[in-house]
Amino acid sequence: MKSRTRLLALIATILMLFITFGNHSTRVEAANDSDVLKVGMEANYPPYNWTQTTDANGAVPIDGTHAYANGYDVQIAKIIGKKLHRKVVVEKTEWDGLLPSLTSGKIDLIIAGMSPTAERRKAINFSVPYRKGTFVIILNKTNKYVTAKSLSDFKGAKLTAQQGTLHYGLIKQLKGAKREPAMRDFSAMRQSLISGTIDGYVAEDIEYESYKGVNPNIVAINLNKMPGFKVPYSDSVTSIGVKKGNTKLLNEVNAILKTIPEKKRQQLMITAVKQQPKTESTDKKTGKKQSWLVTTWNQYGNMILSGIGMTLLIALVGTIAGFIIGLLVGIVRTIPTPTTTGKKIGLKIVNWLLSVYVEVFRGTPMMVQAAVIYYGIAQFWHLNLNRTLAALIIVSINTGAYLAEVIRGGIISTPEGQFEAASALGMTHNQRMWHIILPQAIRNSLPSITNEFIVNIKDTSVLSIISVSELFFVGTTIASQTFQFFPTYLTISAIYLVLTFTITRIFNLIERKLDGNRNYNLMANQIQVGNPKNSEGNN
Amino acid sequence: MAENNDKILSINHLQKAFGEHQVLRDISFDINKGEIVSIIGPSGGGKSTTLRCINLLEEPTGGEIRFHGDNVLDAGYDRNKFRAKVGMVFQQFDLFENKNVLQNCMIGQELVLKRAKEEAKEIALENLRKVGMEPFINAKPKQLSGGQQQRVAIARAISMNPEVLLFDEPTSALDPEMVGEVLDVMQKLATTGLTMVIVTHEMGFAKNISDHVLFISDGVITEEGAPEQIFDHPANEKTQKFLRNFKQNDF
Repeated sequence: MKSRTRLLALIATILMLFITFGNHSTRVEAANDSDVLKVGMEANYPPYNWTQTTDANGAVPIDGTHAYANGYDVQIAKIIGKKLHRKVVVEKTEWDGLLPSLTSGKIDLIIAGMSPTAERRKAINFSVPYRKGTFVIILNKTNKYVTAKSLSDFKGAKLTAQQGTLHYGLIKQLKGAKREPAMRDFSAMRQSLISGTIDGYVAEDIEYESYKGVNPNIVAINLNKMPGFKVPYSDSVTSIGVKKGNTKLLNEVNAILKTIPEKKRQQLMITAVKQQPKTESTDKKTGKKQSWLVTTWNQYGNMILSGIGMTLLIALVGTIAGFIIGLLVGIVRTIPTPTTTGKKIGLKIVNWLLSVYVEVFRGTPMMVQAAVIYYGIAQFWHLNLNRTLAALIIVSINTGAYLAEVIRGGIISTPEGQFEAASALGMTHNQRMWHIILPQAIRNSLPSITNEFIVNIKDTSVLSIISVSELFFVGTTIASQTFQFFPTYLTISAIYLVLTFTITRIFNLIERKLDGNRNYNLMANQIQVGNPKNSEGNN
Repeated sequence: MAENNDKILSINHLQKAFGEHQVLRDISFDINKGEIVSIIGPSGGGKSTTLRCINLLEEPTGGEIRFHGDNVLDAGYDRNKFRAKVGMVFQQFDLFENKNVLQNCMIGQELVLKRAKEEAKEIALENLRKVGMEPFINAKPKQLSGGQQQRVAIARAISMNPEVLLFDEPTSALDPEMVGEVLDVMQKLATTGLTMVIVTHEMGFAKNISDHVLFISDGVITEEGAPEQIFDHPANEKTQKFLRNFKQNDF
């Protein structure tokens, strides 16, 4: 009994620790809508937008983190914000999450280097263009396709582009080129180019300008000049996205954009290209791996720590809440059939609902659940859930579905005799369950619960779809800014491994403690029985 | 009048079927206060089912079980209260694996009889002393031998101060050298005036301890009577045949 309370206290302490830890990175979303202009962007697409750790060069804070966003888009957003007398806050959002974020009202504007394609226009409105671009293919200098002069010269070339952009569709115009799977972001494409898994990728000229500053060994081939290359006007420009129906804001944005002259725009872009984060190439050449680790730690240490905190918070709360859900569902699903018809039908309906719950949440990816719940609730009920809260709910519900089956298995596998012995003493169903069956069922389920905890620590990474800044999300950000993919992800894996390994050990310890010794040591327990023995002697 | 008061349980035309299979056809007998009843008979004959029906671990499909005159099978009868007064010792001991020896003997008292913790502990310790398991109060069931576990199970049952204690083949799952210690405890209990119903294959023990012996086969009481009558002069052919298996070595 005592050891159980101590264990509970320990869990509570850890929980509190993470909640306070996590709180730093979960500052509640800005107070008044009219004071704040929420701008959605990837903050991962230099020179349009990127993430940095300080507010240098007029960067703007990213909501829910300690980091800042800067770049061409941010500067444009600041001009708009100033004219509207609203403070700009950046909502760092995955590319695929931008549109749902806008339509569900989580952000006011999309300023993310987005082209106003016809397809997107179906969902949202666009302002007049704020930048016009040229399409290029970026290749390594040594690549055999650098001499290409026409669209058909790319026969056999392995090309790609960013997922969900029109760039990817443009590859179709290059007859004979092999269209590789689309990639998540520019960092990934740059990495693929360096490692040689692709020959090149389609992007705008500005991507070439900015990447050249980091990697001088690349060339860009202009596609716009090639005969037969067709791009609708709307696709070669970038515009600001506004929610449909919000005509007032759209008109205001259009009016402000007109006041920014072309020269000023060019100036902003050149500055952005200069200011965008660069790899410390000198460090790379002279320093060793360790110095990379040290500099990265100095720069991103806090980000990593809060990422770890967030991951642990979500995994821990998700597993505990999921366990409670699973326990309740598991209990209900093992209630023996009652004798009266009314209760029988009621139980049948409840059981049916519960099995639907288990099947649905076990049978769909958590990533999809996250997107549906987070954006869906906002869109249909206009309820703006805090990101962290949404993550906690999703992981809890998902874990609950898995653990419900685990607990049910634990209950079923508890020997029938335990139930009978409790019945024979005259215990009620509830007493039998809580005092005899469940403690054993839970003990038997512990290995599976540990498993689920470990899975949760790793699977929180899919929550990046709703931009929860957990460990993987932090890792992606760092990797895309330092361009040190391998070392960053290796470090992140090492952190994951340390976390999961530690948790496995802790649970093993708990299991061993619960089981006690295989053999009962009479000597060690002699002290306690000393008294009764004496009294027996007196008898 | 006096006899009526002495009658604790009265089993009348008890029937039990598992689907099409009629295990108990017609079982009727009384259990009087302080009496020790042994039930013997071939495997599958219905001994254990009879016992389990008395404790309602199996729901009888016919007949009645009268406890101090009231039929416990009536709708609305407080079955848990009844079960608390009818103890049971199982073939497989069935100690609560998640509780230690002392807790096993206390939990029923606390939850069902609502005894205070201190009182429950005192009673549990006293009964554990009776069965010689007091030195092991902190042990978990897993750490004990079968014989030790069964003695704890007996202490658990008598800690509830039952009016009747049912034993369902209490020594069948034990290694031969441990049978003795359990039978000794039962023997000791018998001298305290506790009412006991014992399903057993220990014929010698049954003969010595019992006031009344039932021979159940094919779902009916084939023969019943005083132990000397059943064991030494069985009238029924089935009883004779059954007892012949034991004659030489057992009693």
